[in-house]
Amino acid sequence: MRRRLLIRGSLVAISVTALFALQATFREFPALEDDHVPVPPDAYEKTEWAFARLMYPSGKNASVFGRTGSWPTDYPKADRQFVQGVRRLTRIHTRSSEQVVDLDGDEVFNWPWLYAVEMGHSSFTDAQCAKLREYLLRGGFFMCDDFHGSGEWNVFLESIQRVFPDRPIVEIDNHDPIFHVLYDIGDRIQVPGIQYWYTGRIWEKDGKTPHWRAIYDDHGRVMVAICFNQDNGDAWEWADHPRYPERYTSQAYRMGINYIIYAMTH
Amino acid sequence: MFEFLFKYPGAVFQKGQFVLLASWPVWILALGVIAAAGLLLWHVRRNRGSLTGARPLVIWMLETAMIALLLFLLWHPAISIATLRPQQNVVAVLVDDSRSMAIQEGSQTRSAQAAAVLDNKLLAALGKKFQVRLYRFGKEAERMQKTSQLTASAPATRLGDSLQQVLAESSTLPLGAVVLLSDGADNSGGIDLDTISQIRQRRIPVHTIGFGREKAEKDIEITDAVLPVHALADSRLSALVTFRQYGYAGQKALVSVRDAGKVVASREVQLKADGAPQSEPLLFNAGLAGPKTLEISIDPLPGEENRNNNSLRRLVDVETRKPRILYMEGEPRWEFKFIRRAAEDDRSLQLASMLRTTQNKIYRQGFDDPHELEEGFPAKPEELFAFDGLIVGSAEANYFTQTQQDLIKEFANRRGGGILFLGGRFALAEGGYAHSPLAELLPVQVPDTKGTFHRDYSSFELTAQGRASLICRLLEDPERNAVRWTSMPQIANYNDVGEAKPGAIVLMDVLPAGRHRMPLLVTENYGRGRTAVFSTSGTWRWVMSQDHTDVTHKTFWQQLMRYLVSDSPSRVAASTPRAVLADETKVTLHAEVRDKAFKPVPNAVVEAHIVGPDGASTSVEMTPLPTGEGAYAADWSAEKPGSYVAEIVAGREKEELGRAIAIFRREDGVAENFHTAQNRELLGKLADETGGRYYSAANAGKLADEISYSEAGITTRETKDLWDMPAVFLLALLLRGSEWVLRRRWGVV
Repeated sequence: MRRRLLIRGSLVAISVTALFALQATFREFPALEDDHVPVPPDAYEKTEWAFARLMYPSGKNASVFGRTGSWPTDYPKADRQFVQGVRRLTRIHTRSSEQVVDLDGDEVFNWPWLYAVEMGHSSFTDAQCAKLREYLLRGGFFMCDDFHGSGEWNVFLESIQRVFPDRPIVEIDNHDPIFHVLYDIGDRIQVPGIQYWYTGRIWEKDGKTPHWRAIYDDHGRVMVAICFNQDNGDAWEWADHPRYPERYTSQAYRMGINYIIYAMTH
Repeated sequence: MFEFLFKYPGAVFQKGQFVLLASWPVWILALGVIAAAGLLLWHVRRNRGSLTGARPLVIWMLETAMIALLLFLLWHPAISIATLRPQQNVVAVLVDDSRSMAIQEGSQTRSAQAAAVLDNKLLAALGKKFQVRLYRFGKEAERMQKTSQLTASAPATRLGDSLQQVLAESSTLPLGAVVLLSDGADNSGGIDLDTISQIRQRRIPVHTIGFGREKAEKDIEITDAVLPVHALADSRLSALVTFRQYGYAGQKALVSVRDAGKVVASREVQLKADGAPQSEPLLFNAGLAGPKTLEISIDPLPGEENRNNNSLRRLVDVETRKPRILYMEGEPRWEFKFIRRAAEDDRSLQLASMLRTTQNKIYRQGFDDPHELEEGFPAKPEELFAFDGLIVGSAEANYFTQTQQDLIKEFANRRGGGILFLGGRFALAEGGYAHSPLAELLPVQVPDTKGTFHRDYSSFELTAQGRASLICRLLEDPERNAVRWTSMPQIANYNDVGEAKPGAIVLMDVLPAGRHRMPLLVTENYGRGRTAVFSTSGTWRWVMSQDHTDVTHKTFWQQLMRYLVSDSPSRVAASTPRAVLADETKVTLHAEVRDKAFKPVPNAVVEAHIVGPDGASTSVEMTPLPTGEGAYAADWSAEKPGSYVAEIVAGREKEELGRAIAIFRREDGVAENFHTAQNRELLGKLADETGGRYYSAANAGKLADEISYSEAGITTRETKDLWDMPAVFLLALLLRGSEWVLRRRWGVV
């Protein structure tokens, strides 16, 4: 099944890339999870914004995810379900499909908003660190999500500090425009992953306290928005599931949309 | 030679009236010529003998011409001409005594050459026939007794003023002619039509004698430097320096702009052909706010005759105001973010933006007052006209109400603001602009179709006007700038637009793959303001596809936004007709006063507070002009050389309507260093317009004979016979001789 998907995605990608050589178009990759959603009919539409998911190597941290690594967690359903909300709730010209990008070429510079999940398992190469640093300094925006507890924080820290060794990671102030650019979300709750169904706990590992942290540029603008001890990706992915509470999904949508609009205004 | 052939000087024929003195009517002469021609034709046809082809015709023509000449002489041709009566008329002799006459040419100065012309022969010759009044002049004329009183030291030359003064002084005298000895280097820009008209009314011929070479042998002179009078702080300015040179063609020269002695721009240029005007733009940063006196100069070249004409000064008011631009964006998009970033890095601009994030929500940024425009896009003139520029993004035309659309038009037309329309999926044709009143504002023809917005990465290029425009100047060197644009990343999208409207300027074209080129960036003036279309929202790729240290996107957008607002007038605008008072003191200050809706205010109290070069302050009340509501003026005298700053404050009752700055500078004795070559054109034109004649110093001796022919003063009318001119006999001889030679050659004698 995965192989067929891979071949089909590759063929489509090759033919479309030949037509528009300068910007990569939609391409579907094998998913990790067994909740596949069909490719939307307008997946190849050219739009202003698309949900760009970072394909990063997990390297030594990939053991629990196998060879693929952790980057496709919640992929592609979370992405496609979230963008439906972006389309419905904003005037952003939004593509119905996600765009998977890596840091090995220059394609990432065509997608100024970038999302990555399970950053507690990331393991960038030096070249990827340099590429991500350049991307952010040019004006790109990076939303990191779905990693929990001190262990995964340390892995994330090791990666991101190779990108910005000298920039501090700080808690985002409640008055920061990022929490008010569209929705006022000064009061926030911890958004759990689907483990909440089985355990009834909203936290994972020792990550009982949610943090909304950031790395700022020299002009006081958020470059890297870090959603730590929370799982917005699951909230998007399971938004249509009766067992997943609406209040978590609602905040995850508002948070994600605020991050996009902030990235397009600051 | 002329006088030998025609018996009289050329002036007699030029000024006299041709008459036939015989009492017989002229028609008899014409009839006689025709009859003679007929008879001769009959005679030649009858007796042509062996003559064939055109030969009889040639013989007939020669004989007819001879008979016509004889008949013409029988009618007694003559010239009737007015001449000044000896010793009953006054001739005014004006000698230029300005500093430019002290220029040494050959072994003598121009002044000495003029004195020699007068003393050697001319004054004595004139004195035999007329009463001579001798004057020297610079800014004004002054009587003198002898040429040794010439000093060649007057700091300025005012030909027109001096002539008017002499005419006024001699209004009760029988002034028969004026003789003007000068190099023609006038500092007031020539002789005005009023002066010429006055001279013509009195029929006084002005004879001019020119001194000085008409072009220098080795000299380079700045003839003009054009800079904006007002500029925004930190903005890029262009000084268009015009100069010409003699003797250095093909060589290099260094052109510089200095602010307080510090070089702010310099450029090495290759000099063009001798005498050819050459213009070179120099770009520099305006720097901090405040009035600036900039020196524009060309480094002296080896062997230059006159180094005092290598520099001149210009004033620029670098304004303290921070113009505000309102940016209305109809949807979140990357272009918006990066335009905002470019504006935030510009200390001299303020960008206030309104972004439709959702159908009914607007996210506002860049407003000092958190409540300003919280109800949405301005619906009142005072709300919109508080801004200097407007950017309309991807917003449909019908997003704006009819009132708002009218306001937007008035924003450019009456308020004098700049409006930029961007491309986008709800912009231009896609946004229904073709059928909206806003179509009139656009400098392009918007197609009346849909499907005109394309998200295709596309190349573009500067047009010739774009390469010359300050908006598109990323690098100061024009060649390097043009090359830099060719390596820019492609834009992410574009809108189809039609042709540019007449009068609009296309700065960039988009070159979509497989399609024809279309205008991309177009500007035009509209009413008191200006409008532009930039039919893309895809320049964000210039940021994301180039190194983070690259500033091309930021520079371009800052310059485009400054273009929108740099000429947007404030509610009170101040100006002077001339920023540099060359050897004069009188200055007229102008002010235009408008209210918050930019309607003229006729009943304002307007005062100018002028601070002079010594720091002394004066206040002058300005009075309304009858020519226009809201226009005020005041005359003032700048008593000392140096720079002056006039702050004009307008108020109405207790409300201050606004204030503005006008700057000017009085320069004494500087203009005399420029245009030092003889202005042959001016002297010749003055003589032609008044019925006089231009003489060079070498042939000035003829003037004494020819000056008598004038209709001014006390005259008598003379009749001069023409029948006995040697030229007539020569003509008769030529006609008969030609016929005889031809007959001999054709064997019919």
